[in-house]
Amino acid sequence: MEFRLKKRQRLEVKVEVVSLESKYPHNVMMYHYPPTDDIHIEEFEELALERLRLLRVLDRASTRNLRLLSDEWKEYVNAELTREGLRSYLRLCSAGGGTKQEADMQTRRRDYISHFILRLAYSRSEDLIRWFVAREMELFRYKFAALSSAEVKQFLEANNFDVHPLTEAQKDEVKDGLYESTVGQSVAKIELLDFYKVPFTQVMDLVRGRRCYLKAGFAYVNTHDLVSIVGTRQQDEIEQGLLAAKGLVEEVEGDERISRMLKALHNSYTGKDYTVCRDAAVPIESLDQLSKTSMPLCMRMCHEHLRAQHHMKHGGRMQYGLFLKGIGVSLEDSLRFWREEFTKKMDADKFARSYEYNIYHNYGKKGSMVNYTPYSCAKIIKDMATPGDCHGCPYRYMDPGSLKSKLSAYGLSASAIEEVMFFVSRGHYQIGCGKYFQITHNATVEPTITHPNNYFEESQITMGNRQKRTNGPAPPRARARPDIKGCGDRSMLMGDDDDELWRIAETQERVMQSQKAISEAFDDDLDLTEIDY
Amino acid sequence: MPEQATEQENQTPQQQAAAVPVYNPEVLQDMLPVYYRRLFPHQPFYRWLSYGLTEDGVFCNREISFTLQDDIYIRYLCFESQAELEKEICSRNPVKIDIGPVMHTRPKNHRTVPGGLTPVQRELVFDIDMTDYDDVRTCCSGAGVCLKCWKFMVLAARILDVALREDFGFEHIIWIFSGRRGIHCWVCDHQARHLDGRGRFAVAEYLNIITYVNFSGSNSPRCPMGDRPHHSLKRALKIAEPMFEEIILEDQNLFGTPKGVSKLLNMVHDDMARGELESYLQKNLQDGAHSRLVWESFAKYANSMRTSTANAWSRKLKNIVQEVQLGLLYPRLDINVTRGFNHLLKAPFCIHPATGKVCVPFSVSAVAKFDPTTVPTITQLLHEINAFDDKSKGYMEAPEDKSRIKDHKKTSMFKGVVVFEEFLRKLERSHKSASLQF
Repeated sequence: MEFRLKKRQRLEVKVEVVSLESKYPHNVMMYHYPPTDDIHIEEFEELALERLRLLRVLDRASTRNLRLLSDEWKEYVNAELTREGLRSYLRLCSAGGGTKQEADMQTRRRDYISHFILRLAYSRSEDLIRWFVAREMELFRYKFAALSSAEVKQFLEANNFDVHPLTEAQKDEVKDGLYESTVGQSVAKIELLDFYKVPFTQVMDLVRGRRCYLKAGFAYVNTHDLVSIVGTRQQDEIEQGLLAAKGLVEEVEGDERISRMLKALHNSYTGKDYTVCRDAAVPIESLDQLSKTSMPLCMRMCHEHLRAQHHMKHGGRMQYGLFLKGIGVSLEDSLRFWREEFTKKMDADKFARSYEYNIYHNYGKKGSMVNYTPYSCAKIIKDMATPGDCHGCPYRYMDPGSLKSKLSAYGLSASAIEEVMFFVSRGHYQIGCGKYFQITHNATVEPTITHPNNYFEESQITMGNRQKRTNGPAPPRARARPDIKGCGDRSMLMGDDDDELWRIAETQERVMQSQKAISEAFDDDLDLTEIDY
Repeated sequence: MPEQATEQENQTPQQQAAAVPVYNPEVLQDMLPVYYRRLFPHQPFYRWLSYGLTEDGVFCNREISFTLQDDIYIRYLCFESQAELEKEICSRNPVKIDIGPVMHTRPKNHRTVPGGLTPVQRELVFDIDMTDYDDVRTCCSGAGVCLKCWKFMVLAARILDVALREDFGFEHIIWIFSGRRGIHCWVCDHQARHLDGRGRFAVAEYLNIITYVNFSGSNSPRCPMGDRPHHSLKRALKIAEPMFEEIILEDQNLFGTPKGVSKLLNMVHDDMARGELESYLQKNLQDGAHSRLVWESFAKYANSMRTSTANAWSRKLKNIVQEVQLGLLYPRLDINVTRGFNHLLKAPFCIHPATGKVCVPFSVSAVAKFDPTTVPTITQLLHEINAFDDKSKGYMEAPEDKSRIKDHKKTSMFKGVVVFEEFLRKLERSHKSASLQF
């Protein structure tokens, strides 16, 4: 295997001969130099899958809305790591930097190499990169948090971080600012802590949260927040590494064994892509109906906002417009739909000038010609609407009172509302959304909602308008899943989140079927809001 | 624009003839050629965007876009030199010029560049729009703006400017009136221009303290200050507080109606406490009492509750009086403009097609004196030139190109250009000192 970066080749000739310990001196490492070992193709695959399991544990923790490094988070992650048979990584994450056992050295090596393998698999698209970087950073922070302050110092020196604590005199000069603006430390503690002065660009996360004192372009960071400096560098390192890996992927994929495996990894672990709807066409005439039965709250509110106001700001148009694309509204229908509403308040000419571009753009027909992906929950929850907007996650941005009255207007009983609110008030918006789904669909289990389009799809399936994949003619599994030779643990590739491949493998026939099913369903005039709970 | 005719103050350097023509959007396209040829400050504009040519491609890889008549929108333009830019502007006469990022290569090749264009640098920009203040102003709404609501912009500019300078150490900041109802801010320091996406996001979030909570059907601003308020919040409050009475209580009389009072109540983010406050206010005030009385009662109540017993007022709502003040007055940023590396923003010295006003730079130290209602319109400027030319015909028979350079000095646009030149002078001094260091 050979995928080191060309420009760095000179630097690492000597590394080959040194022992494991000098090569992997620390549990926490900056992933700077790509490994140059020879490894067996089977180990290559094994390492890749192992790290994926590791990152997926972290992913599950974050979709559960557990706060990173909180006690609940650690408890959950530790239990899951043990369950997944990743004890060795658990040791790596909790033992700090000082262990010297052979087994730990081996784990360090696995950690290091597997990171670089996944870079190859995850450099393919923006979404993959974002996911990968976020998980890797969580892992890094977990490992770093276990270090003692002496180990942190040692780590900083070993990795050429040129940071020195302020002297007492320097600290004295800015002490008022430090007292005022250092978050998370008491005044008495601040007196004792070491502070470091760094350009604000090195601690973006602290700046963003207004968590440190900032003066003339420099941030004053205390010992406990040093992870922010290190983390920023590590993130840059990984992001740049991914860019470099992108250029290398073609070369590596010359070897078919590797290329198939990397692609399979990518397919198994992306979750779904809703850019193009392959299931069915949805006529815009059915949107009023669908908004009541099958849209999550965020989209239903957009729809109602549009119908009531005949206008929607950019954020809402993006969120709702892409969602509509994802459920199968065609470009032509989409244009017609927006035009009909908007022209109730403006003339057709103005609409054509100011808004049509936006719709073409969303479908990848104008501008950068990118076929945009509908927003996921993560993105929607993050986007805060400004006055007059209707986008964002209503569970997050609405105050409890109005949310309750909205839900009751949508026909939920008081006890059902309480159930939803229980999660919402604790910040578990997606679980609240799942509860809402369960209640409105009389479902036995609540689905995990990670994407409004997946909500819609689940809803259609539950209502029998679209068929669950397993109901159709058995999809040709073997063809859909590239066979991975010598794969250590293949069961994980059969997970629930692997539906993407099934979809691709499905036939035109099913599309026809589901279209028929939808039109039949509308003939039935099924209206869930009429059902009394 | 009926006020245009009446608001011809004697601020213009020339004495105006009694009848100053009113701007008429229909004839904008006929006036633009004269404006671009005689008034648009091409040379300073180029000096700005070329940044002393200290970096490769800083001017010629910059994406510029033109909006032509009938909303024909041309993106991915780029120019090799000042002469070419000037020639294009004067021959196409764009209704609007937008400035995008500096790309890694010529943006006009965008279709053939493998992998597409990558932005490499771009000023850090802020956009504040009066419409975002609609829920806190009673004098105007939507596109309207008067001297009363301009005070929100005054505060916004002051608060942001000082934060950018003191906290981030930026120096080269230019503020532009957007021509109708908003202001733009361009931060042009080297470091600001080279911030990556994450950096922009961080700075934007740092400065964007207001969140909105959808409360009984309307968005209510929230501005949590926490136990120990960050120094940037305290400073913002120090700037905003002295204006609070004048803007919110007197000018806007925001709490002077039952609806206004409910706005105040909605900002109290504790259900119990809100109920208590509501009944207290109902008991002590008549419907439609003046804002000042409402505010005084509110402040008195909050203070007495805070000090009397341990309750929500002494914990969660400890800073509620300050939080409400900041929530109403803190700059309301269009955060996506700041976050986006790729966002295009209207260039200074454009003409706003709806109002005919010039997007003039203004100085933050004099922002309180800046009056958006008397910003010259293109009609007025052309009128001024003509008046000047008529008067000086006798003794100024200079050749065409020589007189052109100074044309803006004959008009009320002069002040805006001076502010811009001053900004450029400092910027260019920094290029010089930077090049000396190497």
